[in-house]
Order: sequence, then structure tokens, then C-alpha cells
Amino acid sequence: MSELRYVRPARVRPLPEGAVPVVRLKEVTKRFGKVVANNAITLDIHSGRIKALLGENGAGKSTLMSMLAGRYKPDSGTMEVDGRPVRFESSKDAIAAGIGMVYQNFMLVDSMTVAENVLLGQEGGFFINPGEMEARVDALATEYGLAVDVSARISDLSMGERQLVEILKLLYRKSRILIFDEPTAVLTPEETNRLFEALWRMTEQGKSVIFISHKLEEVIALADEIAILRRGRIEGELDPTAIESKAELASRMVGKEVLLEVDRQPVEVGEPVLEIKGMTGLGLTDVNLEVRQGEIVAVVGVAGNGQKELVEAVTGLVKPPVDTVFIMGQPWRKFFAESTWNRSMCYIPEDRLGLATMRNQNLVDNLLLTTRKGFARGMWLDKRRAERDTEELIRKYDIRPGRIHALAWQLSGGNLQKAVLARELYRQPRFIVAEQPTQGLDVSATEEVWRRLLDARAMAGVLLVTGDLGEALQLADRIAVMYRGRILGMLPTSEAETASRIGPLMAGVLD
Amino acid sequence: MLMWEFIIPLMAAAVQSGTPILYATLGEMMTEKGGVLNLGVEGIMAVAALAAFVTSFATGSPWLAFLAGGTAGLAFASLHAFVCITCLGNQVVSGLALTILGLGVSTFLGVPYVGLAAPGFDPFAFPLLSSIPVLGDIFFRQDMLVYISFVIPFFFWFFFRRTSLGLHVAATGEMPAAAAAAGLKPVALRYFAVLTGGFLIGLGGAYLSLAYTHLWTNGLSGGRGWIAVALVIFAFWRPGRAVIGAYLFGGVMAFQLRLQAMGTHIPSSLLLMLPYLLTILVLILSAWRGRRIDAPAALGTNIEPEA
Ligand SMILES: Nc1ncnc2c1ncn2[C@@H]1O[C@H](COP(=O)(O)OP(=O)(O)OP(=O)(O)O)[C@@H](O)[C@H]1O
Ligand SMILES: [Mg+2]
Repeated sequence: MSELRYVRPARVRPLPEGAVPVVRLKEVTKRFGKVVANNAITLDIHSGRIKALLGENGAGKSTLMSMLAGRYKPDSGTMEVDGRPVRFESSKDAIAAGIGMVYQNFMLVDSMTVAENVLLGQEGGFFINPGEMEARVDALATEYGLAVDVSARISDLSMGERQLVEILKLLYRKSRILIFDEPTAVLTPEETNRLFEALWRMTEQGKSVIFISHKLEEVIALADEIAILRRGRIEGELDPTAIESKAELASRMVGKEVLLEVDRQPVEVGEPVLEIKGMTGLGLTDVNLEVRQGEIVAVVGVAGNGQKELVEAVTGLVKPPVDTVFIMGQPWRKFFAESTWNRSMCYIPEDRLGLATMRNQNLVDNLLLTTRKGFARGMWLDKRRAERDTEELIRKYDIRPGRIHALAWQLSGGNLQKAVLARELYRQPRFIVAEQPTQGLDVSATEEVWRRLLDARAMAGVLLVTGDLGEALQLADRIAVMYRGRILGMLPTSEAETASRIGPLMAGVLD
Repeated sequence: MLMWEFIIPLMAAAVQSGTPILYATLGEMMTEKGGVLNLGVEGIMAVAALAAFVTSFATGSPWLAFLAGGTAGLAFASLHAFVCITCLGNQVVSGLALTILGLGVSTFLGVPYVGLAAPGFDPFAFPLLSSIPVLGDIFFRQDMLVYISFVIPFFFWFFFRRTSLGLHVAATGEMPAAAAAAGLKPVALRYFAVLTGGFLIGLGGAYLSLAYTHLWTNGLSGGRGWIAVALVIFAFWRPGRAVIGAYLFGGVMAFQLRLQAMGTHIPSSLLLMLPYLLTILVLILSAWRGRRIDAPAALGTNIEPEA
């Protein structure tokens, strides 16, 4: 498998003798109700260095960084910046202290322009002038060599461009301590490369970077030092030069052996569960695709090349042209008119908090969202039974915190995804549409999801839409590469040259 | 002939009866730009109309009364702000309660004043501008409060396009979390939007008892608050379109009154329906065209405290 390599401009920088940290966290603790998200954490951040924060889903990485950025207040412990203790009442104080954070979910106002977002709260006066604001941000972008259209609205930008806007925000505020919470989860490999270059450039100027990621190869390639967080505690700090392999780092992080690979045995292929025949429309052109029970078909491509439209048409979110989409042998219209709760189609969307779950409801109600199996007695719901089954699923899938009454938004990204997966597989689907199923998941959770998807082949066919080529190569029997609404190639993973052919196809190059 | 005797007076009347709707629409638009839905417009207008009338009756100063109307609107809207922003109550329920409360309170407290008159604002020909043909007759033979309402949409536009505070309010209405991450105070900004909006709605109420009539009667607001709520959607949250919408509705209301006065055979209850029929039509049209994309993204949702 050709893994993407990130090339470090310099070697890991050794920490100079007697260096004074710019930020010191001492015994910082944060609780959410009974959950101890951070337990007496002590951590030093040095200037001019990149520190990676590694840990399983729900380990407390985002919580810790949110405290440093002034979004949460610690329950106990102290934070020091430049040797002086600080107490942040809001993000404003943290920004003033030179700390800036790019959150896991971008904090950008979609309907406003790039310039307005960058300067929000930093306009420098009561009266503003859009033209002048754009010029100011444009000058900044040029200074740092970041190409972005400052008058564009955020909603028109790709994820990579939005990331640039977040970086511009930090640069404009002259932040010295930059926190990136899983910045690469939504980026293409190329965008990731550009981000890394920007990060290196910024550390050259003496800024400190804290980098959170679940992608171990990125951490190894980027970091000057690695801190591992496990269940709210600092498990240890590592020197990246001393790490032999990804697997070693993974097992340090999880605390047990991790393989990082799944063993895909072909299973017998059955009836087709999805057929798309010559579909043109909705931004797609002549798309043909077949998924049979027992196989996984991956759809890859740079985001925005028609994958979303394809998924929406298949899952019933938008209506495709007549007689182009057939699900389990039935025309689209008929299938959705008669669809049932179980042994049917299930959808694992990319948008976990928006589409997959109700953010302010607990896990039981979220389970009931897409299933009625055995819970319905006439018009009544047997909630007691639903609770029992939810508990069972929480145990089986190791969802943390293990309370059935936790609300969806309180779960960390990885745990929420596990909950969605648990719910959907519980329905014993015959056709699964999985969209970025491991985005933001830690290595062991990723492995778990992969294993479950492979196991699901016994009962179902899977359409896997992913931006992670490694994932596609690991799981899929065939890979469809999309470019500008067309499927440019359908490559079987059994052939050795497939891995090298995907890249050019994604860029629209046919041989 | 028809032009001078019917159309121009009708259009002038449209501007006059559209003015309270314009104030209220801009007030509601301000509130919604900050992310808060206020369905209490009707009640706020009723309370403000009474407050203005009583002030004018007691002091004899229409200007003081106009301000009193705005202040009453602000005070009444602050109830909504407290319930929704501080107590995280449901915005729809709180707004409806405000309407019911406002209508009840104004009717009850207004009993001693029914049928009484108080000094208010009278139309006068605006120097120079009133001599413009047609336009002068329509727009510049009005009262002072109408002239004031001409400039508010420009201020409104300027506020959101050209001031940082306007940008902050809009950011809060779109995505409070992003505003907070940028170091702003979304809660304070929302209070600002709701209170300023309440003030403007209150001015609309005051117009009813100070200029539209100089008398106090029950039910003076007459559904204008609801029309304002619908007009915000029709206007796609833009002040310029609010002006068009308000005068359109003012026109229909004035037309309906004229038809009644001329004694047509159409039952008056049908004529009274006209503005609401138009409301429904307008909402259908804007839903069909606008696809809600222009609505502040966080409209109607509360800001949950994080931890
Ligand atoms: N606002 C909150 N209310 C209640 N519990 C919370 C809240 N935020 C986080 N938690 C809990 O605190 C723990 C740590 O969560 P956090 O988001 O910091 O994890 P993380 O390390 O960033 O995980 P991931 O890799 O999945 O993003 C989790 O158990 C989570 O459920
Ligand atoms: Mg996180």
C-alpha cells in the first residue's frame, strides 16, 4: 500500500537545555457531571515547537485544549502563560494572552465573507468598511503565502480553504500558541501537505503549535514531541525519533496491542442490493454502479466531485431521475414507499450531530430514531426494553461514557460515531451506505469499525464513501473514483497497480 | 381624474398605514438578526400604543409620548429577552405569551381612556420636497413620524454593513459559538438585538395612537404585529424590501377601508381578510423563491452555556 509520506523540512528539533515553557498546565482537572474529562494534567508547551496530543476518542484532548483557549474553565489546577498564572473568563482573555484555537468543528460564520470572519471581534473601530477589511486580510494572506479569496463567502469554500481562514484568524490575532484540534480530518492529502508546510513555517517564527490528530503517520511526521492522553490522564511523553513504527505508537496510546490492519477474507457474493443505471442529473453524468450483498464498494474522490449527490440520491434525501436507482431490486420510488425498519437499508452519514443524531436527546431516544424492532406494541413504545438494548449496545461497542442517558452532543466525536454504527447495524441491514465512517476516530475505534463493516458483509452489501484512500484499499473489493460527477474508473483492489492508479484518476487524468 | 382623486390619495394612505408596520418589521428584523424569534410583536405594539397615548394625554407632549412608546416596547421585549436568553426558555412560547399578555394588559389598562383624544402628530407639507409632482403628494404630505421612518432603513442598513457592532450582532444570529470563539459576548449581543428591536416595535405601536388616530380604542394594533413577523420573511431580512412590503400591506389596508367606505356589496369581513390573504400569499412566494437561505442560521435556537 502506498502510504502518503509527509516530508519534514528539518529533523526533529531537540529541546534546548534550560528552555522555559511558554505555557505550563499544572494539575488541571475538569469534570462534566460525573465524567472526569481531565484528571490532574500537567503539560509544558515550548515555543518554536510542535507538540502532538494523542489519545483515544474521549480521552479528553479537546476538553484540555478548550480550557487553554478560554472556552471552559478548569475545576482545579493552574495554567501559566510566560510564567504568570492566568484565569480566562472567555475566549477573549485567551486571545489576548496569545492563544488561538482551531476547533474540531470550524468556528466560522457560513454566510459571512472570509474577511469578515477573520476580523470578527478585531475590526479595530466602530465603523467598518468592507473594502478596507478585505484589503487588510488580503495583505495578511499574501504575507504568509496563503491563497484564499477574501471576499468569498465561507459557504462557498472547500474544507481546506475554511481551514486557511481559521489559520488567518490566528495569524491576524498574532497568536503565539496555536492549537489545532484534528485539523486534517476533513482535508485531502494535498491540503494536509499544505497545512503542514504552513505549520512548519509558523514554528520557524517562534510560535508554538499543539496538534491533535488520530492519524499516526501525521503525528510521527510532524511533531517535535508527543504527549499521550488516556482516560483523562497524561500517560507519557514521547520523543518521535524514538518511535519505531506506527503500531508501536498505537499500542502506547491504547495500552494494548493494535494491528492497524484488518484481514479481509472475500465472502460469497449474493444478490445486488444497489444498482445505478446510467444516471444523469443532480450534477452526475452517466453513473453506473452495482453493489452486491457480500461486497464493499468504495467511492473515492476529492470532496465535491459528486459523492454527496450520489449518496443523497441513494439514501432517499433527494429524488433521482426515474428508473436510474434500484435498491434491492426495486425501483427507488417503490423501495422508499415500502421501506421497513429492519432488514433494509441503513445510512451512516458523515454529519453525525446534524443528520445522524438528535443532539439534545439521550442515547435511548437516538437508538429509537431509526429502529422499532421489538419496541413497538401497537402504538406504544416499550422504552424499558429500548433502554436494556441500548445498555447492551453500549457494552458491545464500548461507547463511553457508558450512560444511556448521556445526550448525543456530550459524546466525543469517536464515541458518537460508535453509537451511530451500533444503532444502524442493530437493524441488521441488507444494504449499508457508510459515509466517512472513521473520520475522527482513533486507531482502535477505526479498526473496530472496519472489522464490523467487513463482518456486515455476511448480511449486507456496503457502499463506502471515503476520503481516506487507505481505508478504501483496506476494505473495498472495488473502488470507484469520482471526478466532476462521473465515475472515471472502477478498480478492483485485487490488482496491485490499483493503489497507484487512484491518484491520477482523482485529478481527472485518464492514463 | 381617477389618478388624482383615487390613486394618489390611496398611495399616500398606503404610506401612512404602512408606517407602523415598517417600524415593527424593522424591529422584528433587528431581533431576528441577533438570532431571537419574537412572536410578541402584536402585544408589544398594543402596550406601546397605550403607553404613548397615556403619556401624551398626561403631558401633552407627543414627542415624549413617542419615546415613551419605544421605551415601553423595550421594557416589554426585555421580558422576552430574559425568558429566552437568560432562562433558555422556548422562544415561540415566550413570544406568544407576550402577545396574549400585551393585548390583555393594554385593553384592561386602557379602559378609562377609551374614546378620549390626546395630542399627536399631524400631516404637514414637507418644505420643497412636497412640491415634487406625484411623489411629493404621496410621500411628503405626511406627519413627522413618517419622515423619521424614511431614514431608519438607511440606519439599519448602515448598522449591519458598516459598523462592527452590527457585524457582531449578525454573527451571533448566525453562529453564537463562532462569535464566542472570536471573543465576543453572544448573550449581551442578543440582549442588545432584542431590546433595540423592542424599541423599534414600540415606536410602531406609538404611531398608531399618536398619528394614525389621535384616539384610544381597543384593538388598535389590529394584527399589524403578525403582518410584521411575516414581512421579515418576505423581506429576506433586508431593510429595503421591508419598506416595499410595509407599503404594500399599508396599501391593501387602505384600499380595503376605502372600498368599505364607498359601500360595495362585498361583505366587509371578506375585505378585512385581504391583508391576511396577502400575508399567506407573500409567505408562499418567499418560501418558493427564497428557500430560507437568508434567515439567520441560529434563528430560534438558544445559546446553551457550555460548562
Ligand atoms: N460538554 C460536555 N458535557 C458532558 N460531557 C462532556 C462534554 N464535553 C466532553 N465531555 C466528555 O468528556 C470526555 C472527554 O471528551 P473530549 O471531547 O475532550 O475527548 P477527545 O479526546 O477530544 O475525543 P475525540 O478524539 O473523540 O475528539 C468524554 O467522555 C466526553 O463524553
Ligand atoms: Mg476531540
